[in-house]
Amino acid sequence: METTHLLGLVTGILFGFALHRAGFSRCEVVMRGLAFRDFTMLKVMLTAIAVGMVGAAGLATFAPEHAHLKVKSLYVWGILVGGLIFGIGMAIAGYCPGTALVGLGSGVRDGLLAVVGGLLGAFAFILAYPALEPVLIQPLDLGKLTLYETLRLPYLPTALVMAAVLGGIVVWLNRLEAKQRT
Amino acid sequence: MITERTEVSAQAARTVGAPSRVGLPRWFIWGGLIGLAQIFAIATVQPLGVSTAYPQLVGYLADRVAPGFAESQPYLQKIGARIGWEVMLITGIVLGALLSRTLPGGNRIAACESPTLFRASWARGLAAFAGGFLILFGARLAGGCTSGHMLSGIAQLALSGFLFGAAAFTTGVLTASLLLKRANGGR
Repeated sequence: METTHLLGLVTGILFGFALHRAGFSRCEVVMRGLAFRDFTMLKVMLTAIAVGMVGAAGLATFAPEHAHLKVKSLYVWGILVGGLIFGIGMAIAGYCPGTALVGLGSGVRDGLLAVVGGLLGAFAFILAYPALEPVLIQPLDLGKLTLYETLRLPYLPTALVMAAVLGGIVVWLNRLEAKQRT
Repeated sequence: MITERTEVSAQAARTVGAPSRVGLPRWFIWGGLIGLAQIFAIATVQPLGVSTAYPQLVGYLADRVAPGFAESQPYLQKIGARIGWEVMLITGIVLGALLSRTLPGGNRIAACESPTLFRASWARGLAAFAGGFLILFGARLAGGCTSGHMLSGIAQLALSGFLFGAAAFTTGVLTASLLLKRANGGR
């Protein structure tokens, strides 16, 4: 096994373990989360994003040789349409591509079914790609834009401020939830 | 029967929100650990991204069954029909979940208990399957999913990540609210 393979496996085990402990093997965490009846999903996601945000900017600033960042291109139509389809699927299944695997690993039947459906959806996309690419992916591709470059702001301070904003939202959600329970 | 299931799910929801033995809330510990896994991924290979592995695995398997398939498909030429970091990552996710379930403290609930329109077991299974199809088709069209576009994209302050998040949450919130509202009798 190559080093890259081993690194992928170790990262996946960490990621899957944390997702499972956070409760994502059960589809209702996502369903209720999207309907704003339970804030677990949002709190876990926003915490993870905030930590990753500070880490990514910190690595890029202090150890750029170790910052393997990968900003995705902003091709507006594909991301918009793909995102809209994704949202419907996420609400129906109660899973996203990662948490479906957590359901599978946890022995949940619906996780297995979502993974099988996902493999079929991926196969359908492979076949549809030549037809979709010129319509939704090539036009209106604005390139690999970031918030700080677009606004001409320095990277690390912007990331710290944004992470603090996300942290603030999490604290607010937590209080809101505590109030709703009483 | 249905009330019973609802109670189970409410109980499960409380367990997730309950503080752990250390005193820190569970969402903080596990959300934080996902963030650390992200930093580890960025420092070693690339940011977390799950959905690429699905077509890579499908392409790899299809090419085994029908040699030449991967070469004939432009999308597989682009992403590579290979077992690499991505496919190992999703293998690890399954193993990590299995490990968490096996070790003490992991939940072992084997079914979805949420009352939705798809209450019958077969309807719920069909919904999981169809939803799975849609999330992968959508994620591949958008070039990423919750992990690649949100956990990684938004964490890198990529505008593509913010757009994907806004689009996915728009239909996600609408669909989930509608399904849960109908299932709970218009409450």
